[in-house]
Amino acid sequence: MQETLQIIGIPLLKIAVLIGGLMTAAAYLVLLERKMAAWVQDRKGPNRVGMPLTNFKLGGLGQPLADGLKFLFKEEFTPRHVDVLLYTLAPIVTLTSALAVYAVIPIGDTLPLQLTANGGPLQLIAAPGCDVGLLYIFALSSIAVYGVILGGWASNSKYSFLGGLRTSAQMIAYELPLGLGILGVVIVSGSLDLGTIIRQQADTGVWNAFAQPLGMVVFVIAAFAEAARLPFDLPECEQELVGGYHTEYSGMRLITFLIAEFLHMVTAAMLISILFLGGWHFWGITGSGPIQDDQWAWVYSLLRVGVLMAKVMGVILFFMLVRWSWPRFRFDQLMALGWKVMLPHGMVNLALVAVLCEPVVMAAIGSGRPAVFIAISWGVALVTWMATAMVQPGDPENRPQTHVEPSI
Amino acid sequence: MRRDDPSIQWIEQPKLGFAARMYLPLFVQGLTTTAKHLVGPKVTVSFPEERPQPGNPLIYRGVHRLNRDEEGRVKCVACFLCATACPAHCIDIIGVESPWPDREKYPESFTIDELRCIYCGMCEEACPVDAIELTSLLDLTGRSREEMIFDKEKLLSVYDQTKDAEPMPSLKYGGTL
Repeated sequence: MQETLQIIGIPLLKIAVLIGGLMTAAAYLVLLERKMAAWVQDRKGPNRVGMPLTNFKLGGLGQPLADGLKFLFKEEFTPRHVDVLLYTLAPIVTLTSALAVYAVIPIGDTLPLQLTANGGPLQLIAAPGCDVGLLYIFALSSIAVYGVILGGWASNSKYSFLGGLRTSAQMIAYELPLGLGILGVVIVSGSLDLGTIIRQQADTGVWNAFAQPLGMVVFVIAAFAEAARLPFDLPECEQELVGGYHTEYSGMRLITFLIAEFLHMVTAAMLISILFLGGWHFWGITGSGPIQDDQWAWVYSLLRVGVLMAKVMGVILFFMLVRWSWPRFRFDQLMALGWKVMLPHGMVNLALVAVLCEPVVMAAIGSGRPAVFIAISWGVALVTWMATAMVQPGDPENRPQTHVEPSI
Repeated sequence: MRRDDPSIQWIEQPKLGFAARMYLPLFVQGLTTTAKHLVGPKVTVSFPEERPQPGNPLIYRGVHRLNRDEEGRVKCVACFLCATACPAHCIDIIGVESPWPDREKYPESFTIDELRCIYCGMCEEACPVDAIELTSLLDLTGRSREEMIFDKEKLLSVYDQTKDAEPMPSLKYGGTL
């Protein structure tokens, strides 16, 4: 009985909490996004819908509920020209893979809860001890792209199809820098498990953002592209493609796509916080080792959850602010940035980290002096960045050619 | 347009400088702009509770009014210049012989279809005696189309409502009566 509870009950409970929490978070992040959009544009934003059947407005907090109800009651229209099976499958694939990623993402460290007789403290992760966490995340985020391509293909409409095509090209171009950005972190921590990566940063007290600035820049930009957020939202740019791959969708299927898209952003924010910003660690507040079983256990546990959530929230706010700060890239600029700038930067970072982590080099600079490591990393980052700027054409080349040589 | 058209002068685009190619100054510039607006003052208002304030109520183009002279009579002399100037053809005037000695005609009926009106202010521009003016009243509602056709009495009552807040600007400049 105890064993059944431990094997089935606790994971199910965690999954329920995770999915419920994520769906609610996604709904309220949509509200936050609309509010941010309004504030940046000097408006007030949605502030009318409050508690149902009363006059309390609560600053518009009822808006996500109303939006959800609206989508529930909308007609689920299936155009006659679509491939019905793939058309129905596409949003399910996208949302499933977007949610399944959270199985290996920790939302804190541990809680000192003894739910079973012989179990340790409760791990705040749905699948604790998954040694291939990052690999799993990568595999699933690639499947999410399939959902988008399927949706674009099955819709049998040129706008959806173009959106799907753009997505596939963009995702392939930016998976590489994404992977290169992560590789540096994996080399330093020696594990693909996100919990171990956080613990390594907590133990040394040096977040990867300081030790590998180049890796962080590459990863953050690639994460923007993977989440299809502005300035990389080519797959669904409204001015050209109506709605991109979800042009032909309505009702619950549409909101499934939209939630999945938002979850990609939350995933990206989670990964940035965990891989580069130290996860639940903050100097002088959270401590670094495993939580001791004393009277302060609860305080430290909740502090670690709070610190991680605060970091994730900060990254999400950055994502939303960026949306209104820069215009969208043109497609050739997007590809040029991916292949000509991000990929070389990622390789330089990988080579740098690999060399610095060599035992000989570590012995030479002294393993107890992370400041040297950080200084070298920032120096190399600066030099690489400036070198890239030098070789960039100073001419944007976005005007018609007056003299076109006939090509042979 | 032909590209080798001699009448077209192609201007060389300025080259990007080193700072622009570094992208960082532009990055910071964009973020500071949005961050400033994020916390800056908002221009919209929560409408039914707060009223939007038109920058200058005297030149705002809202609901029309028909001005009165000192004796409380309608100033209009039924010259039809406003109806002629109106691009939406929303002004309908029936002019009859005036009972007063200082003018020849006056409007027996003066109706404006507020739903047809495009609030361009041409009638105000055209009026030779400053009889028709646009006020700063902006929330105009009605439950039927008939209700939105304003007759002379209604337009005069708009004047009575707004004459204190928005005095006739023409008076200051020695306007006609």
